[in-house]
Order: sequence, then structure tokens, then C-alpha cells
Amino acid sequence: MSAQGALRGIGGATVALFAALAFTPLSNGLYDVLVPPATPPEPAAAIVVLGSRVDDGVLSDSSLRRALGGVVLFRQGLAPLLVMLGAGSHGKPSEADVRVRLAQDLGVPATALLADPRGRTTRDEARMCWEDLAPRGMRRILLVTGSEHMPRAAALFRRAGFEVVEAPIMELSSTVSQPQARLALSRVLLRELLARAYNRVAGFL
Amino acid sequence: MDTAFIVVVVGLSSLAAALVARGRSRRRLRSAVGKTLETIGLAAVFLFLNVGVGFCLALLARVVGGRFVSLYHSDDVTILAVSILQALVWQWSREAEASAGP
Repeated sequence: MSAQGALRGIGGATVALFAALAFTPLSNGLYDVLVPPATPPEPAAAIVVLGSRVDDGVLSDSSLRRALGGVVLFRQGLAPLLVMLGAGSHGKPSEADVRVRLAQDLGVPATALLADPRGRTTRDEARMCWEDLAPRGMRRILLVTGSEHMPRAAALFRRAGFEVVEAPIMELSSTVSQPQARLALSRVLLRELLARAYNRVAGFL
Repeated sequence: MDTAFIVVVVGLSSLAAALVARGRSRRRLRSAVGKTLETIGLAAVFLFLNVGVGFCLALLARVVGGRFVSLYHSDDVTILAVSILQALVWQWSREAEASAGP
């Protein structure tokens, strides 16, 4: 096959994939396959909220959702300690610090809060968290992160030594029908699939 | 509903374009579709390359430079737009070369 023919084939496949992801429920079906259904949260020694992103002190949408999810679990009395994670950069406030301030504003006592901005990857966060919590005898944790991120995050935290109770946060609806929203869902799923593949190849999972 | 709306809108604008260009032959249309698919294929190749190179550079910075660079940088949507631009420039430069002759 000529280079021109190959490029036309790739182009045709790209258009077909685009149409399938945007105009059919393919991405919704992929979500159901890749993301296990949530179970009710159970009591634990600590609630651990994984980082997402902060820009100049402003939490990203997913970061805010996760932080609020952690506060709700704390207020339900499911754990006595709320650990906020999330790195910062260039001397600006870290995501963990911004989230701790938010939790305090929402009525969580400062004594029940812990900020750890050291972790930059999920694997780092699992290791740092173990350093924070294992000496306190806290091994059973309620893990808070996005639904699609949860299987990988829970596996990494279990590998670090924790007993993990999953408390996934819905950051995207799995039943979206708008083409643009379906493409956004596909993008998140593809990114997570690549991250899982990378972690497996690197031997982290 | 959203899908149907978009299909109707695109269908109507395509119909209008077909009416405007009704004097042109079907062969030319087929050739245009082929070239468009070629450009899209080229954009996909550039996207794959850009994401792959970004991934490798991030890992290299971590391992060799000891500096953390997030793998999620390669997820930026602007990479898609730039990949399309790269494909267009490549395609147009080939066209120009072909029309200039030997």
C-alpha cells in the first residue's frame, strides 16, 4: 500500500472513531466497562483525598469535587481525620493547603485536618500517605478520587500497605448524550487507560 | 436530540455546498474526500508523534534531569489543534512541490 493509501486509511479510521465516540453511546459503554460501580462508604481511620490540579490558588473542577466529597464523608462521621493531598508550584499555595482552608471554612476543625503537598503522582501520594499515617496506626483509609481514577489509585494504595475503602467521586456523568460531552468522557477514559498501561509496564501495579 | 440536531445542521450546510458546486464532477468530489482523509490521517500521525514525544520527554526529564514533568502535559487539547496545523502545512507543502514540477 502506498503512503497516500495508508494515510487515507488512517484518516478514514480516525473519522469513523470520532463519529462512533461522539454520536453513539460507545464512550458510555466503555465507562461502564472500565469503572466499577460504587459501593456505600464504610468507617475508616482516615479519609484521604487525592490531588488533582490547582492554578494559582484556584482548585480545578475535579479537585473541588474531591475535596467536597472528603468533607461530606468527614461530616458523616466516617473517620476522625481528613487528609488533603495535592502539590503546588513556584512558591504558590499548594492544592493541599487550599483544600485544607476550604475544609476549615466548611466547619472541619483544624485538628482533624492534615495537608500533604509532597506527592506529584498517585504513586507518590500513596507512599507519602503511608509515611504520614502508618506511624499513627492508621491503615484503613477511605480513599476519595474520581471514579475512573479509583481502580488504579486503590491498587497503588493497597500496594503501599493500606486497607482501602473506595469512595469514588463522579467527576463526569457516564450517561451523557451530548456529542461534546461524550468526546470529553472518551478523552478522560483514554487518558486513564494509558495511565494504567504505563503503571503496569513500569511495574507499579 | 443533540446528535440529530448536529446531523441536520451539517446535512443542510453540506446540501447547500453541493448546490453551489453542482457544476463540478463527482470525480473531483471523490478526489477531495480522499485528500481530506489523507490530511486527517496525517494529523492523526502528528498527534500520535507529538503525544509520544511529549511522553518520552517527560520521562527523560524525570530520569535524567531529576525534575518532575507531568505526563498529563501531553493531554493538552492544543496538541490536537497544533497537530492539525502541522498536517495542513505538510500537505500544502507537498501540493506546492508537486505543482512546481521537477
